[in-house]
Parts: sequence; structure tokens; C-alpha cells
Amino acid sequence: MTNDAVDTDRGLLGHVLLPVAHEEDARKTATALEPYGPDRVTVLHVVEKGEGVPDKTPVAQSEEVAEASYAAVREVFPDADDHTAYARDVVGAIFEAGAEVGATAIAYRPRDGNRLVQFLSGDRSLRLVTEADRPVIALPDSDPDG
Amino acid sequence: MTEEELAKDLGLVSAMTIGIGTMIGAGIFVLPGVAANAAGPIVVVSFVVGGIIAMVNALSVSELGTAMPKAGGGYYYINKALGPMFGSIAGMGDWMGLAFASAFYCIGFGQYLAVFVGLPEIAFLNPIQLGALIAGVLFVAINYIGAKETGGIQTVIVFVLLSILTAFAVAGFFSFDYATLSGADGLTPFGTGAILPATALVFVSFLGYAKIATVAEELKNPGRNLPIAILGSVGLVTVIYAILVTTMLGIVPWPELSQDAPVAQAASIAFPSSLGPIGGVAAAAAAVMTIGALLATASSANASILASARINFAMGRDRIVTDWLNEIHPNYATPYRSILVTGALIVVFIAFLGREIEVLAKAASVLHLIVYALMNLALIVFREADVPEYDPDFTVPLYPITPILGALLSLGLVAFMDAIEIALSGGFVVAAVVWYFLYARSETPNQGVLSNYIRSREAELPDQVVDAADTVAPTGDEGPTVMVALSNPRTESALITLAGAVAEAEGGRVLATHIVTVPDQTALSRAAENRQRIEASSEDLLSAATADAEAFDVPIDTKTILSHRGIEEVFDAARTNDADTVVMGYGGAQFAAGRVEGALDELTHDLPCDFLVLDGADLDVTDVLVPTAGGYSSDLSADVARALQTTVGADVSLLHAVDAGEETQGREFLTGWADDHGLPDAEILVEAGGIGDVLGRIGDDYSLVIVGATDRGLLSRIVSGSLVIDAVETLETPVLLAERPSARSIRERLFG
Repeated sequence: MTNDAVDTDRGLLGHVLLPVAHEEDARKTATALEPYGPDRVTVLHVVEKGEGVPDKTPVAQSEEVAEASYAAVREVFPDADDHTAYARDVVGAIFEAGAEVGATAIAYRPRDGNRLVQFLSGDRSLRLVTEADRPVIALPDSDPDG
Repeated sequence: MTEEELAKDLGLVSAMTIGIGTMIGAGIFVLPGVAANAAGPIVVVSFVVGGIIAMVNALSVSELGTAMPKAGGGYYYINKALGPMFGSIAGMGDWMGLAFASAFYCIGFGQYLAVFVGLPEIAFLNPIQLGALIAGVLFVAINYIGAKETGGIQTVIVFVLLSILTAFAVAGFFSFDYATLSGADGLTPFGTGAILPATALVFVSFLGYAKIATVAEELKNPGRNLPIAILGSVGLVTVIYAILVTTMLGIVPWPELSQDAPVAQAASIAFPSSLGPIGGVAAAAAAVMTIGALLATASSANASILASARINFAMGRDRIVTDWLNEIHPNYATPYRSILVTGALIVVFIAFLGREIEVLAKAASVLHLIVYALMNLALIVFREADVPEYDPDFTVPLYPITPILGALLSLGLVAFMDAIEIALSGGFVVAAVVWYFLYARSETPNQGVLSNYIRSREAELPDQVVDAADTVAPTGDEGPTVMVALSNPRTESALITLAGAVAEAEGGRVLATHIVTVPDQTALSRAAENRQRIEASSEDLLSAATADAEAFDVPIDTKTILSHRGIEEVFDAARTNDADTVVMGYGGAQFAAGRVEGALDELTHDLPCDFLVLDGADLDVTDVLVPTAGGYSSDLSADVARALQTTVGADVSLLHAVDAGEETQGREFLTGWADDHGLPDAEILVEAGGIGDVLGRIGDDYSLVIVGATDRGLLSRIVSGSLVIDAVETLETPVLLAERPSARSIRERLFG
């Protein structure tokens, strides 16, 4: 079911889509978002698929990571919905999920990594902010050492 | 599309390229020279024999793979069927076999690389080893980062290879000379006795098909695609090997065939030196073959490293190895530790055994052959134990001949290996058994089908067999987990007492959960404010539960779960915590009725485990009444009654309602039933009349009535408010409703 109609009158934080990579990332991202008091949160984990080739990680293992991430977000937002997507193109899957759940904004925590690493794994931050079809919020790092 | 379907994105072609891509690198590009040198031209027969052995095993892998399309392949089936000790051997065998094979492919890569570029000799490493090490480190790095592009390249590589090899076969056909093939000493210069030892050497060229099974869970329509891909890739590479090795030996006399880069050598002779005005064709062809060889060995090594991570994951899931190994990298989302450990093994094998390519090849084969032999046994165990969940889409022809033949051929081929490879592999098997007894036995909770089968037939089988099964059985299972879903402080004590009794009787543990249902309407900010209050009340409830559980000799864990899903969350929590029994209050189940519709019906028809639902706030277990009409539904009632009898000394009475005049048969039936269910000293009551009337008449004389659910689904009826046994509703006495999931849903939990 696709719900393209974004309920903008609830404001930017009316329904925040929270893409997270793993448990630790989920915890930090949720903690970083908490002070802004979003009305509704949907946490998203994209299971990276090979789409035609074997995945780099067994699907069942990726799904375990997804479950752990959802649990970590619910420590902060007990009512958070969850959404699992399967795609080779992670950023594309985030946009699709945003449309599907009718998110008012996508909030994420930019992760570090040097230029080479970002290049090799695809600079997702850049694509996320340049190609998005709805507002994208880059959350400040709540724990600069972590 | 469901999520299940989204996770499956490998088509038939992709599956076949995994198999072909892994196999073809070794057979064509690395081994023909070495093998021909050992056996002469008859080595072609050695390849075909290897293909036949692989094919017999491939049939068994296909059956097992379609029955259980799970990550892990051979390890998974063996662990399920033969139990964790053989599972440890299989996992270790598969893993080390892949590491040896990867080292072998890397050496093959190094051989062709050394032809291409001059590599120096460093310390004790010859140029080939150096090239192999570079390759090994590169492939490990690629898998560590999980560069997605490599996956896409695999398909391309296989098609490029098949085209290159076709061109080679065509060119070779015109340069083919039977006199060159037969040579000076005939087709069998070392006699026919050299055929099987050469098969032992080249068998490593067939080690790719089982890797398809390790990614079975990602296959679309595995019931159809898995057998086609496995059998098809074995058949195809066997034909390719036969044709191309014959071609090579018809171009270059076998004693002269290069031991390092045979295809490049044969190509430089097979292709004409010039085509019309274009010169250097032969040299170019040799160069193309070299590139092909590099691609082929690279894809073999890459696929093997990927497959080894799958096996580690499957072993970690069964707790045969520690979860540490399967940790996912935070940035690359790859099982990086598993890849690094495998990579380190590959590097060690290259450095210390890299000069002995035959040892690497054969050690890989021996370990895989041991796994294949066990896999065939696993197939026989699944079939003979008549496991209802075992329902393969593909079945081997000529059962039981095929799996028996597969096991014999696999072990038979091991006999043609040399002592050093057998010793190396034997060392790893012993290490796996030691590992099992020192570590895995106390961690893994799973018993094999075989050991369940033996233990369930304790009376019919010789004592030695049963003892042997007990000796190796895992101890990691701490007994069943009894989960209590608490929501109301009023019923807490009753539910915990019930759970404690059941857990103590079965040597299990209690998990007390407080599931806090937050209504959807509550704004998130409000929920966050309330969190402290919720936590405080939760703490009170759970510490009361802990205190109540002290009456029993069972460990207790507690957990607070915040959710807006009510009873669905109970099911989820039961699944994620591997609960064997859930104890909950009737009120909690009813409460959920108002909120959840539709989905619930389906949910309650697929219970994750046994459910005990108590209607009543107080639990007095002095006199327990168990009505039964026999059959599946009252087995659980009997188990609970027995638990209450042994742990808190309940007096158990059994009730059987019959039509007037059939009391004698009824009594006979009930006495037998009592004996069968371990309640021989229970009071036997046979009453005439409908069960509802009888219960209404005598039920209130007892302090607890345990009612077993019928097949129609007790929980769904409670939740939808349509429980038809009126008597239960009207009884003053607390009623415990017991429902055990149907065999169908157990099947889904096991094989899903």
C-alpha cells in the first residue's frame, strides 16, 4: 500500500522515518532524535540484497540485525513502528519506504568513515540529501566519541 | 509481495553460475597438467568418474536442500539429522574444506599470475605463493568490505569463461591429433590403476555444487531451481571437463603439458600464429586464456569465502561456535570476523602448504567427502525416522540405493588419497569432536533427529545404542522455558505458581514478562513521560514474581516489554525467547479481543508453543480435575496435572464422560489413559452424560479444572468470545485452558 499523501500539517516531525544500520546505530540515532520530540516514528532497516547474486550476509542474519535495531529504537520510542525493506540500492529503498509509510521527514545520523571507505561503500549521505523527495534531517552526533 | 518473497532474489541462472563459477576454475585451468602427469591420457576417465561421484551426491544435496532451504547447506542438514556432534564435524569439515579449497584456488591464481608478471621470491615464499597470497588477501578484503560489485561480476565472469572455453574447444578441435592424445605409451601409461588416484586429485574440481545449497534460502522457488541448478551445474562441468581435457591432451602430449598453466600452453599451440594479416593470434589467445584462468580461480576463491561465512553463521545460530565470530561489521554490514578468520586460515595454508598444490586440493576434497558421506546418512535418517516435517520437493531416485552409494563412493574415494591429506583432515575431525565436548555440547540446545529417534525407542533398541546417544547428546538445553505473560498484579501469583510447577517438573526455567500495552492513541511524548511510571510498576510486579518463584527450584528471568500490540506481542515474545510454554491470564487474552481483529484468527491458529490460559485470580491446586476424551488435545492437560502432582502434591482426578451404559468401557479406557500419561495413581471418574453437564455437576467440587483444547483452536475462541463450553464459563472453580500447537505449526517453526 502506498501512501504518497504526506500529512504536512503535523509539521516536519509529524511522522519521522528513521533508517538505521544496526543496533548501536539505532540506539544512537534514536537518542539523537529524542530531544526534538517527534509525534510518530517509523524505524527502517534495509536488508542489503544482492539482487541476482548471493548476499554478502545471510538473510536470516540481516533480519536478526533488523530486529535488534528495532528493539534498540523502542528503548527510546516505545511506540515506534518498524519497516523492513530488501534492496540492493539502500538509499532508493529508504525513499520508497518514506513514500510507503507517508513520512513527513527522514532523519538519519551521518556516519563517519574516510573518503575511501565512503567511496567504496557508496556515499549514502550525499545521495540521501541530494536525491530525496521529502525533507531529510541530519541529526547531530549525540556522543562525539562514539 | 511478502517480505519472504523479497528476500529471495536469486534466479536459476544466478544459482547455476555459483556452482559453475566455483567448479570450473580448478578443473580446467589448474589441474589438467598435474593430473595428466600422474595418470596419462586416461585422466579424462578420472574426471568423468569424479563427475559421477559428484552427481550421486548432488542428488542427495538436492533432496536435502529442497526439504530445508536454509543458510549453511550440508552442515545444517547433518546437524539437524545426526545431532550437534556430527554437526560440529560437518561444520568444521565444510569450513576447513572451503579454506583449503580457497588456498588451492589462490595458488592456481598465483600460477597464472606468475606467467603474466614476474614476481619475486620473498623469504620462504616462491613467486607462485606470493601471487597466491596477494590474491588471498585481496579476496578477503573484497568480502570484508562487501563490495557489491563483485557479486555482479560473478555472472559476467562465468559467461566470459564459457565463451573463452568454447573458442578454445573450437580451435582445439582443428589442432586435435589422436596420435598426440594416445602418445608413445598408449592411453594408460601407468595402467588403469592410476584412474582412481587421479580422480582423488581432481575431485576438488567438483566442489562447487554444494555451495548452491548454502545460499538456498535466497533462491526463488528453491523446490524447482535448487535441484536444476545443482544437478545441471555438475552435469555441465563434467561434460566441459571431459571435452576440454581431451582437447588439451590432443594438442599437447601429456608428459609435456604444463603443470602450472596448462590452458595457456595449449591455447598458444591450438590457435594459429596468425589469421591472415593479423599476427600474434596464438600469443593473444594464450593471454586471453591466462586472463580467463585468473578470473576463474578468483571467482572460485571468492565464492568459497562467501560460503564459509554462511556455514559459520549457521553454526553460530546453533551455538556450536560463539556469536563473536558472526558479529556484523557496523559499517560494511558483513560478517567480517568470520571472513577474517577464514582469510587467516587461507593465508596459513598458502604459506605452509602452497608448494604442495596436490595436498591442498586433496585435503579440500577429503573434508568435503566426509561431509558428503554424513549428508547421505542424514538423508537416510530423515527418511527412516519418518519426520513429518521432512517434505522435500525433490526426492532422490532409487532410495535407499542412491544415498548409500553416495556415502560409499565418498568414503571410497577418500581411500585413494595420500596419508598426509587424510591425516590433516582427520586432525580437523578430531579437533571438531574435541571442540564439541569442550565447548559446543554445553552451549547448543539442539538434538538431532537421530538421537530423538533412538531415545524415543529406548525400549526397542539395544542399551548400548541408547547409551551412546546419551553420551554425545548436548547438555546446552537448560530444559524448557516457561514464559509467563503478566499484565495484572492480581493474577501474578497464580500464574507464577503454575509456571514454577511446570518448569520445576521438567527441569526448565521461568521467564516472567510484563507486557505493557500502550494504546495507539497515546502520543509518543506522553508515552515517554509515562515511561518512568511504567518502569516502576513493572519492577514491582516482576519482583513479586521473582519472590513467588522462589517456592520452586527453578531459575527465573524477568523482562519488561513495551508494546502497542497486546496479545500479538505475547506470541512474538514467545517466539523470540524460544518459549516452550506460555502461561497467561484469561483476562489478558480477553482484553486483547477488543483491539485486534482479523489477523488474530490466523495468529491463534499458529501457536508458537504450548499455551496455558488461567481463568481465575487464585490458584488452589489441592484437588485438580482433568476431563479427557483421549486424543491429542488432552496430552498437555495431563502434563500439567502431572507437574502439579509431583511439585506441589496436587490430588489429580481424571474425568471421562460417556453415554449411559458404557461406563465399563469408559473406565477401562481412562485407566489405560492414566497409565499412558504417567498418572497411574490419579482418581478415575467415569460419569454418564455430556461433558458440559458433567462438569457443571461436579466441577465445583474441585479447586482447579484443566481443560484441553480441541483442534478448533482454544485461544481464538477465547479471544473472539465464542468459547462454547458453557460449563467453563459458569463454573465457580478456576479453569486452566491448555492448548498445544498442531503438528503443522511445529513443522513451520522447525523448517519454516
